[in-house]
Amino acid sequence: MTTMTAPAWRDEKVLGFGMAVGGPASVLRPTTAEQIADAFAEVKKSGGSVALRGAGCSYGDAATAVNGKVLDLTRMNRVLGFDPLTGVATVEPGATVRDLWRTSIQFGYWPKVVSGTMAVSMGGAAAMNIHGKNNYTLGSFGECVRSFDLLTPRGELVHVTRESDPELFHAAISGFGMLGCFTRFEIETKRVHSGRLKVWGIVADDLEHNLRLLEELRSEADYLVSWLDLHAKGKGLGRGIMHRADQFHSGEDPEGLRFCEPALQDVPPNLFGVVPKGWLWPGMWGAVHLGQVGLVNALKFKAGSKEQRHSPYIQSHGAFHFLLDYVPRWQWMTKPGGLIQFQPFVPKAEGARVLRTLIEKCQAAGHVPYLGVLKRHRPDPFLMSYAVDGYSMAMDIAVSSRKSRRASLWQLCREMAEIVLDAGGRFYYAKDAVLLDSSFERVHGSEAVAKFRALKQKWDPDRLLQTDLSRRLGV
Amino acid sequence: MVGASSGIGLAVARRLALAGRKVAMLARREAELAAQVALVNDVTKKQLAFAYVHDAAVTGEAEALFQRIEQELGPVDEVHFVAGVMPPVALDEFDLQKDTVQVQVNMLGCIAWGNAAARRFLARKGGCFVGVSSVAQDRGRIGRPVYNASKAGMDTYLEALRNRLWRHGVQVTTIRPGFVETPMTAGLRLKGAIPADQAAARILKARDRKKPISYVPGKWRLIMFVIRNIPSFVFRRLSL
Repeated sequence: MTTMTAPAWRDEKVLGFGMAVGGPASVLRPTTAEQIADAFAEVKKSGGSVALRGAGCSYGDAATAVNGKVLDLTRMNRVLGFDPLTGVATVEPGATVRDLWRTSIQFGYWPKVVSGTMAVSMGGAAAMNIHGKNNYTLGSFGECVRSFDLLTPRGELVHVTRESDPELFHAAISGFGMLGCFTRFEIETKRVHSGRLKVWGIVADDLEHNLRLLEELRSEADYLVSWLDLHAKGKGLGRGIMHRADQFHSGEDPEGLRFCEPALQDVPPNLFGVVPKGWLWPGMWGAVHLGQVGLVNALKFKAGSKEQRHSPYIQSHGAFHFLLDYVPRWQWMTKPGGLIQFQPFVPKAEGARVLRTLIEKCQAAGHVPYLGVLKRHRPDPFLMSYAVDGYSMAMDIAVSSRKSRRASLWQLCREMAEIVLDAGGRFYYAKDAVLLDSSFERVHGSEAVAKFRALKQKWDPDRLLQTDLSRRLGV
Repeated sequence: MVGASSGIGLAVARRLALAGRKVAMLARREAELAAQVALVNDVTKKQLAFAYVHDAAVTGEAEALFQRIEQELGPVDEVHFVAGVMPPVALDEFDLQKDTVQVQVNMLGCIAWGNAAARRFLARKGGCFVGVSSVAQDRGRIGRPVYNASKAGMDTYLEALRNRLWRHGVQVTTIRPGFVETPMTAGLRLKGAIPADQAAARILKARDRKKPISYVPGKWRLIMFVIRNIPSFVFRRLSL
């Protein structure tokens, strides 16, 4: 690697994935840990702060700093090594989920935890402690991290494992980039006995049916996720299509051997082999702006019974997991206002009541999510955890460019957040864009927040690391 | 299968195993090879793949290793030589070390395994040798002179071998792949490259149809026909 000159700060527009928050910022793209350290020192000297950013897949303001400084880690994106006998990968923070699975699948390994888009960076995945469709069994991303190197704002590069410093390990992961910059990870992947999965589509008639399916299937299924048609009212409220996927056992799917090749896992670039999928978002834009999303959802729900008849069917791991990558730039369909995702995590006992209330509130307020996704979760050992023994419902809501509509959406989300917090629910910073600082302690409990603030004071006494999110929450 | 731990060789080995064949998988990198052999046997839940660590550049090993494989697995009826190296070479670089490795692996490696197979197949009046050459063998180009030369040497050797053996019932098939997505070509951003598994399917089809020479995929026959017929006074001015 030849680094002739140090990279320079550039003025750019830095937005959240949903394009509804963020703004101008000065961006630096380091390629080495030394350059990150230099940037920390430079920012500290000027008395300012800096936000850490990976692939920019957080929907809200977790990786933005309006009129501030942003360290973009996407150029530190090498897979440094992969042990084909143990499935442990060594990666830089800007390497993506795609880089990881493309390396591992050749040897019959798949990442334990993947997001719905493969663009997510390893650094972002750890900082937000992301989850996948198997959160209820394999847990969150942090649980498959064996070790990481963390460059702290004080300038030290520390190698951290669960054993060497359990406190820092469990706080830096989930700590949304507040304690230091990850520069390297060791990540465990899992053995798969085929390059493909067995998939079922199951029609769920209403919310209760969806929740019942999650409870019935979670002890046997490897992946569970339900797509919800949140436009349906009355008897069909909360209806959707549950997708279950199971891994094959050894010898069950010999042909799956051929699919242990990256090129056969990639999401196909064309629809029906002809239409480039890059062209689809304008059509979807039309559906959003002409108010036809309800119709699209109803049609999709109808198609579910056909899918159920043809289940189980076989899909590659990539095709099953990376739904968001099927339609490139799909989020552009919400332009110019962009979108936010509201994803509450609700304890099991309160699930049915709270989720029903939220759907009804959205419908009454006229901010019906164009997409809803229901998943099962379990608690994890990380300090700034969002996980509960219960459910999450991700609601993607288009943001209007009209100020009054935007304000009413924010108002709705804050009212919904109250309901969730009152029920002992939590929120996820990869998605959140609306919580108030008064909610921070209610999400995590005052003890956890006090511990986190103490760690922040210890590792970042000058409060060098700040994002729009951390300022909003009053970290 | 010589060169079986990644790329086209791995894809062909997997397809052979899926057809129920016992496959001796040969490769230089021990851990990668062990992992791939284990994967074949795990996914199929059968003992079909066997690991033999071998560096194709060490040509002196071929004869004894061939013998050992036949002792351990029974008579070999089909040999695929897919090992190949293509180090990056700058346009003003003339590095004998890099050149030697390419000649040793791509050309001499093929000759060593071709000879070992030919001796036995000739005596048995049967057998099949598949050598994976390259479209790069068709012309000498500015980018990789010795890759071109080593593949051309290999290709001509295979032709001679075919002419010697075909009349005795032994098949020798030369494969000339175009753009294929493999670890060897990973950094090259080849447009329209096909997956290695697809290349493997075409290679086995060429074997079944007893083709002497097969371009993979077929469109490269036309492309290379054009390129082969560009006169030198034009070709030497091109950046191809």
